[in-house]
Amino acid sequence: MIYIIDHKDSFTHNVVHQFENFDDVYCDNFNDIKQSKLNKAKVVVFSPGPGSPKDYPNTSKIYKELKGKKKIIGICLGFQQILYCERGKIVQQNKIYHGYQSKIKVTGNNSLFKKNQKFTVGRYHSLKLQEPFAAKNFEITMRCDISHTAMAIENNIDKIYGFQFHPESFLTENGNLLIKKILSA
Amino acid sequence: MTKLDHLKEITESKKPFIIYKSDKGFDLFTNFSKKIILTNKNIQNFINNVSKNKSKRKDTDLFIGFFGYEILNNLIGVKIKKQNSLKFPKGIFYKPEKRIKLPTRLNYKPIKPIKFNKNFKVNLNEDSYSNIFNKFKKKIKSGETYQIKICTKYKNATQIDALDFFCRLTKTNIAPEAFMIKDKNYSIISCSPENLITKKNNFITTKPIAGTLKKTKKLNKTKALSFFKKNIKETKEHNMIVDMERSDLSKVCRPGSVKIIKKKTVEEYRDLYHYVSLIGGKLKKKVSSLDIIKAMMPGGSVIGCPKISTLNLLNTQEKEGRNIYTGSFGYINFNGDMRFNIIIRSVLNYQNYSEISVASGVVIDSNAKHEFNENYIKAKALMDLYK
Repeated sequence: MIYIIDHKDSFTHNVVHQFENFDDVYCDNFNDIKQSKLNKAKVVVFSPGPGSPKDYPNTSKIYKELKGKKKIIGICLGFQQILYCERGKIVQQNKIYHGYQSKIKVTGNNSLFKKNQKFTVGRYHSLKLQEPFAAKNFEITMRCDISHTAMAIENNIDKIYGFQFHPESFLTENGNLLIKKILSA
Repeated sequence: MTKLDHLKEITESKKPFIIYKSDKGFDLFTNFSKKIILTNKNIQNFINNVSKNKSKRKDTDLFIGFFGYEILNNLIGVKIKKQNSLKFPKGIFYKPEKRIKLPTRLNYKPIKPIKFNKNFKVNLNEDSYSNIFNKFKKKIKSGETYQIKICTKYKNATQIDALDFFCRLTKTNIAPEAFMIKDKNYSIISCSPENLITKKNNFITTKPIAGTLKKTKKLNKTKALSFFKKNIKETKEHNMIVDMERSDLSKVCRPGSVKIIKKKTVEEYRDLYHYVSLIGGKLKKKVSSLDIIKAMMPGGSVIGCPKISTLNLLNTQEKEGRNIYTGSFGYINFNGDMRFNIIIRSVLNYQNYSEISVASGVVIDSNAKHEFNENYIKAKALMDLYK
């Protein structure tokens, strides 16, 4: 079972819809977590959402409790939430991407995806990861082809994955394949 | 009796009535046996009870009416602070006992022509509009909203002849979701182009509009499409709305069934071109009418994105109630099928007081002056009726 934590976003149910292709999905609001569901889940997903990771201390707490115990996947804000908990700095970008389609490239050496492979993806984010960023077992595995902004992270030891872009957006090509691969990792 | 006499007859009878665009022309609903004024307390029961019957025998087995903006906020748990308002009801539904088909061309001559006051006052001048606009731009930069629509109102104290307005409006602008309501102390006239919910059996669609282009002599549909495709701002705004509506539908639809049926097409109206998509899905088995309404309303394309945090931002800045504006008009059949639009391009006349509300979107690269003017263009088509 996959447990999705919703940060009151208008894209969360696209995420739910996408994950439902692979397993049973439960989705609850970030301030209304059902502990029994969370305990039963094999995978926990942090949804996209407005604002910044510091606005969601509850989600940070869940991350710290579950790290290494369950597979964790973060999307957009959820991706930033993981980085924030790993002492990454989340900052405003000069150019803001809302409803934007861009090309991204696999740059990581230890990624589940083939190095230099390109994807067309949908983006909705005001904030980004400020680099340099380093955390044990984490690798930035995808970047924007133009700005080189971090677009994906993987931690294949603790099974933690995150996308800055939206695999569930209609602007993302082959979004289901991306999700399938990290779910089967 | 010819078809054209229905309009004369209904005016002379002084009975309340509703006209709604149908596939081939218009439907006229009248002889109302019930009138339900909605409150935050009775709305859930009302929606649940309409479709309890399961079967629809007659073509009048339905409730037709509107939900205002405020009651829809309340329904999804978004609170609005006290605002100035006309004290107009939050929603009204009627049970018709008579339904008459009308042709596309509506002919009606007022018996006693009314003199209208044609001078309108706008509730936000360009400066105060820019002020709110800049506040919202900061919120976009900090990621609290990705797109937000500021509402401006044009107001006027006058009597109107609602049917005359509606007939004149539909002569030049046949909008697919046009409707009018005429009751004793109020009337609504709308040439809404936007369908929010069409539900038939277990299939549901929504047809968001995001992207507007003023018509000129040099433009045609093909050129308008290439304008929208090349225009990054319009494209991004549209993308956002498509993803939001997909998400809203996904709340009530079966996994994997939500599909974009028509992606980014252009529709042509009297003064404007619109950039439109059509999205649909198959409903889950145990979904109620209330679940559908809560998932889809208020319609996202006229609010902004993400819906909840954007509504909260809007409701702290907008000093006046939106009333019917960005609410929904339509009907629920006794068998649970429904059709609802988004109330835009509309005139509300309540106790001889007219209100035309319009909104346009703030995204990261929009310009306050341009959006303020776009609002004026949208309002003008309706203010012209008062001439």
